Amino acid sequence: MKYTPKAFQKNVNVSETSLLKDFFVLLGGLFALMVLLYIVLGFGVDLIVPRLSLRAEKMLGVPFQQFYSETEKNASSEKLEEMLTELVGLTTGEKRTYQVSLVQNDLFNAVALPGGLIVIYSGLLDAVESDQELAFVLAHELGHFAHRDHLKGLGRGLLLYLFISIVAGPDNFASDFLGESLVGVQMQFSQRQETIADLFALDLLNRRYDTVDGAVSFMKKIIEKEKSHLSLALFSTHPAPESRLFALKDEIREKGYKISP
Amino acid sequence: MELIIFIILITLGYVSGTIVEKKHYRSIENREEKFLSLPAVTIKKCGPTTKKVEQVRLVSGNAVISVDYFKRILAGLRNVFGGRVKSYESLIDRARREAILRMKREALFSDVILNIRVETSSIGQDANRKKNIGSIEAFAYGTAVTYRK
Repeated sequence: MKYTPKAFQKNVNVSETSLLKDFFVLLGGLFALMVLLYIVLGFGVDLIVPRLSLRAEKMLGVPFQQFYSETEKNASSEKLEEMLTELVGLTTGEKRTYQVSLVQNDLFNAVALPGGLIVIYSGLLDAVESDQELAFVLAHELGHFAHRDHLKGLGRGLLLYLFISIVAGPDNFASDFLGESLVGVQMQFSQRQETIADLFALDLLNRRYDTVDGAVSFMKKIIEKEKSHLSLALFSTHPAPESRLFALKDEIREKGYKISP
Repeated sequence: MELIIFIILITLGYVSGTIVEKKHYRSIENREEKFLSLPAVTIKKCGPTTKKVEQVRLVSGNAVISVDYFKRILAGLRNVFGGRVKSYESLIDRARREAILRMKREALFSDVILNIRVETSSIGQDANRKKNIGSIEAFAYGTAVTYRK
């Protein structure tokens, strides 16, 4: 038997296609899949949320309530609770139990969480100048509850995160990366939802005080804050306050609410 | 911030991984050319021969090749969609060929290496975790035979 040595001519064990091209194709595919899922899940959540019972919502809120129940009580938090009870008394439709929690944080923000929990940051409390403005903030959050915006936002984010985790595995770089960025974005409400909550609050404010000065002055405050922070409207929690103020003024004119000049 | 670190790592992984791989393949091809006259075969007996055997010994060689960040991410994406994990193909190919070359180097003055076997395993701190491959090890061994001249 004769052995004839021969060098490799072509390596059949390694694919010749570009890895870089492979990478971008796969990344694009993953992205397209996520976008599609996001759209489908969005519709799903919008369909489910209005049918969710109050009891189920309360159960969803348990973790948040545990998280925020440890905040200390003081004069301003008691005042907030008093004001909230008053406002809730004026609402129509289904009644749920609401809770308000004051969190020590410089953020100029308030959040509506499942189970009727309203979180007010002390940064916002320091900035408001009158009872009416504060009432407007609380009523605005009540408006989110009335339309279940809080569940829609949270539901989309959580479902999406869950799905990515299932598809890509819990400790995958993709699920971490997408989860963090998307859940963050999903806690925000759309401009339409904000405007509807504003109008709800306006109506409640009018019922409580017979004027709506607080709404206009508070909205102007938001506009100032936005300007000083130079934040992009697209990424801020409450988008484009100018257009919200415009919608408020429209509604005031239309309904003939009283406002001091 | 995390995204920036991710992009830096993946670029670094791609650039350095490509440079290292090209260099390694050049070296592999050169040495394969050099060792071409020393046959390394999987058969157990070297057929009917009149030559007298002077020496028989076990020769072995192993090589460990690491995955780079870019290849790891690409394989992670492949885990989602399925298909050929092309990014790991070259790693295994390099490790096997390098291991055989090292084995041949150990058998430098032999006439033939019979009954060679190549085994692979993944090693490194992430090797035993699911979906993680740290480095690939290839181990080649065989029987080097020297005939009496």
